[in-house]
Amino acid sequence: MTDVRAPQTDPFDPAAEPGDSPRPGPASPAGGAFGLSGWLRWAWRQLTSMRIALVLLFLLALGSVPGSMLPQQGNNPSGVRQYYASHPALAPWLNHLGLFNVFGAPWFAAIYLLLFASLAGCVVPRTFRLAGSARTLPPRAPRHLARLPRSAEYVTTLPPAEAVETAARVLAGRGFRLRRADSAVPDSAGTEPADAGAWVSAEKGYLREAGNLLFHLALLGVLVSVALGGLFGYKADRLLVQGTTFADTASALDEFHPGRLVTAGDLGPFTITLNRFDASYIASGPQRGQPSAFDAQISYTEQRGGPARTGHLAVNRPLSVDGAKVYLIGHGYAPRFTVTDARGQVVYDAPTPFIAGPSGNFLSEGVVKVPDAQPDQLGFTGVFVPTAVDVGGTLESVFPAADNPVVSLIAYAGDLGTDSGVSQSVYQLDTSGMQRLTARPQVLQPGQSLKLPGGRGTITFTGYVPWVSLAITHDPGQLPALICGIAALGGLLLSFMIRRRRVFVRARAGENGTTVEVGGLARTDASGGFEAEFASLAAELRAACQQGRHPLPEGE
Amino acid sequence: MPSPVLKALPSRVPLSRARRRAVVLAAAVLVAALLAVALVAAFGGGSSGVTYLDSTDTAVLYASGHRPLAPEFSSTTLSGAPMRLSSYRGKVVVLNFWGSWCDPCRAEAPALAAVARHYQPAGVSFLGVDERDSQASAEAFVRNYGVTYPSVGDPSQVIALDFSAVVPLAGTPTTLVIDPSGHIAGAVFESATYSELSAILAKVTGKGG
Amino acid sequence: MPVNVGLGHVSNAFLIAALVIYSLAVVAFAGDFAYGRPRRAAMARGQQAQDRAAALATVGAPGQADQAPAVPDAPAVPEPADAPAADSMPELEVPALRAIREAGRWVLAAVALSLAGATAHAAAVVTRGLAVHRAPWGNMYEFVTALTCVAAVFFLVVLIRYRAWTLGVFVMGAVVLTLGLAETLIYTAAGELVPALQSYWLDIHVTAMTLATGIFFVAAVLGFVYLRVDRYTRRVAAGRAAPGNGIVRRLPGIEQLDRLTYRTIVFGFPVWTFGVIAGAIWADQAWGRYWGWDPVETWAFVTWVLYAAFLHARATAGWRGRRAHYIQLLGFASLIFNILVVQTFIAGLHSYAGVG
Repeated sequence: MTDVRAPQTDPFDPAAEPGDSPRPGPASPAGGAFGLSGWLRWAWRQLTSMRIALVLLFLLALGSVPGSMLPQQGNNPSGVRQYYASHPALAPWLNHLGLFNVFGAPWFAAIYLLLFASLAGCVVPRTFRLAGSARTLPPRAPRHLARLPRSAEYVTTLPPAEAVETAARVLAGRGFRLRRADSAVPDSAGTEPADAGAWVSAEKGYLREAGNLLFHLALLGVLVSVALGGLFGYKADRLLVQGTTFADTASALDEFHPGRLVTAGDLGPFTITLNRFDASYIASGPQRGQPSAFDAQISYTEQRGGPARTGHLAVNRPLSVDGAKVYLIGHGYAPRFTVTDARGQVVYDAPTPFIAGPSGNFLSEGVVKVPDAQPDQLGFTGVFVPTAVDVGGTLESVFPAADNPVVSLIAYAGDLGTDSGVSQSVYQLDTSGMQRLTARPQVLQPGQSLKLPGGRGTITFTGYVPWVSLAITHDPGQLPALICGIAALGGLLLSFMIRRRRVFVRARAGENGTTVEVGGLARTDASGGFEAEFASLAAELRAACQQGRHPLPEGE
Repeated sequence: MPSPVLKALPSRVPLSRARRRAVVLAAAVLVAALLAVALVAAFGGGSSGVTYLDSTDTAVLYASGHRPLAPEFSSTTLSGAPMRLSSYRGKVVVLNFWGSWCDPCRAEAPALAAVARHYQPAGVSFLGVDERDSQASAEAFVRNYGVTYPSVGDPSQVIALDFSAVVPLAGTPTTLVIDPSGHIAGAVFESATYSELSAILAKVTGKGG
Repeated sequence: MPVNVGLGHVSNAFLIAALVIYSLAVVAFAGDFAYGRPRRAAMARGQQAQDRAAALATVGAPGQADQAPAVPDAPAVPEPADAPAADSMPELEVPALRAIREAGRWVLAAVALSLAGATAHAAAVVTRGLAVHRAPWGNMYEFVTALTCVAAVFFLVVLIRYRAWTLGVFVMGAVVLTLGLAETLIYTAAGELVPALQSYWLDIHVTAMTLATGIFFVAAVLGFVYLRVDRYTRRVAAGRAAPGNGIVRRLPGIEQLDRLTYRTIVFGFPVWTFGVIAGAIWADQAWGRYWGWDPVETWAFVTWVLYAAFLHARATAGWRGRRAHYIQLLGFASLIFNILVVQTFIAGLHSYAGVG
């Protein structure tokens, strides 16, 4: 049973669906030779039907679920790798189905594109009709107003024409669009005999359809905005140590996720220097250890050779640079090490970013790789403890600020695995080809050195500097999406709050005076209240008649 | 069976033929646009994961007339001497972007050294651009691999930034071959092999390998 | 500023008081259900007019019209003669207070108790917020407390506006049950002060979601009631149950229940939409992207889509009525799933801006 078959005799809405044009088109494909255009038309009618929209909505919701349950390649690539490791048989199949990148998968795109085609096919013609019907008058008043859902009747001493005119003025005063009995506008019902008696039709609430259409068009706009961002936008991450500069080029970014039509050449050309980063934490009370302020002082140039500007980056306050936005996402500590090798050469002297672990208070872990130490490559795994306290033999950090910084190191020598060409993570040490040099972790205070056994060299912990992690994003669809979202909300409110309703008034002369009948009809009454409105309107109409001759306003 | 009340209320105003056609046309255009977006989105290649380039050609030759001009830079070498790219005008220059932390750079280092040994006597110059490195690590690398040609430091990667405006330079290692007029004639956008580099150099210098 | 422990205790006291008063209100509603004045006739009259409206016009949301069923050619329902001869005017709405009084003592007591309970409940929420110097929906316990308060207040408005006395026992009963469970299972003492660096958009977002959840809570309870009545009606029609079941007779008719639920969701859906937009604004400020298909974001989207499906189902032949309510309940289930499971167990973005 399809929607197509049902004749759409909505008595209210001239904006009927394109599917139910008065032309008696074939309603079912089972009717013999149909032709390609007939099939296409049938398919289009199906697509734009409410039922298919409902099915597509379900599929959209259903399709989103695996995207929230399984790790997704875009958000959580390491999680995907872990899933492969723990489900080696299942993972490739899930990958074939696109379940590790649900929201970029073709089948998901098909669902929402079909949904929006359905929506567009429904909404665009209705927009045209709405524009066309902006001046349409309400229909003629029906003969039997008592059959309408709301009806009222009263008697007045005014003659019928005047009673109707009084009612018309009241209705006009309330904002209704009127159609009077004497207007010469023909209507499609054509052959109606001339009406005896006076009547007036009133209609209100046209904005409801406009709000409805605005909502759906705005959703379309959101989709286009998201597509804009996906095509022309990009997201990138960079960890920046205090005192260093980075240039916005693909090779300088730790992670770069370009949109489909973005190339590396679309980046930049700004540079950012982290001059100073300060973090302060609450020192006492129940919120001890919570951050109270972060301040990253930066200087940046928007063009190569352009003037250097200074600025501040703070949490929740991005910096706009050259069309991109730079966000302060995180921070941490980079302890500084100097390594000399067996030959006495300084082979490493740099701040090394350590990453805070889950135990809190910025207890951080990191790795130092010295691939050019002679004769063997050296590697160190380390823990940086900002405010170190010895708790039963283990070092714990009790406060996130670096009040008592120490570093604990384990040294290795051998083959780091860096020369094979396969990229490794800079935060992980592969010790499979290495020999452990120190039996226990060695704790160093700032300035202290660790002498490696076998004369392999020394490592000195010379201090620390902070680092910040920055997110650089460019999304041309961001502002349009916001505007469309707000427009959608506005359209939604309009369509829910405004009732489309019609009120009819007929007056005929009778024995006791003029009998005035009032009838009312609300098409959509989402928020309720038409009953009350009609009742008060009827009372007001009667009161206006009972006041006697309604005074003519000036100038009429 | 619709009641007489319904019949009295006029309903739709049917669209004229022209209006109907306009509606269908607008809808068709909209659907076509959506489909286009879908196709581009679905088949335009992956945007998840780390992507440095969207080009699959990693070794490139530029025909003369289509060679981008290499941006000028001036910096200091690792040993502290000042250096400008324009001082290499008139010579073929192999410009190699590297870093001691970059594992594919370490893997290509022997091949580069071999190419240098072969072509330096023929008059080709070699220059390294050391990206995002500390002085100590860079010097240790040079010592370790016996690099015979100078490198300039580029810790902020501004030289890479300038070059990425003319060629799709998106990571290390990248090796560019600049002709005597200062234009980029060839490039390898990944770890370079001996055969790739010598093929490019043979073309650019006109001399065989 | 440290937590004001004293105010925290005051908040707890208010909440216990609210729980007790609500329980008494539920008893009063139940008493009205069992012993109150029969009001079926009054409901029927209003219902017929509304059934005619439903027959003639499509009640519904954006979309196509259904085929209008035939208008019953029944004689017009006689309106009570209100004014002298031949005047037939629709009744102006009886003012609320009079309606409550006329509904009987049980209803009077129940409404009074519910109002008192809601006041105590609101006081509990407010004092909790004052105690912890932040919006009082920062953890699961506070969230449940706040949303049940929203649900109770919203339902009271619905109750009085639509004179839906017989629904009181269900909705207030659900509120009591939920609050009781929260008190016993997930109670957390006042604490967890706001991290200094939180954006105010987070507050706006969570507030909107709390409001919307409270409203959808009411809709869900009404949906359950609808399904029970619908099931009973179908069984009667199939001859498998005796008509004249006391409980169902006292409940509002199917159409009215449906309409009430619909209007509740119509109220909540824009609030939820606003909450999603506010969340996107906050996410963009905090993490640099306004939508990243984070699991929490995804499930909020699923919830939105399901409620949108409900609104569409109401305008689709064959999907109105029971099926639409299944969809609505599915939407609420996804909402609860989002709060209970996704936010707690499924790892999402590790927020830097002070959440974790």
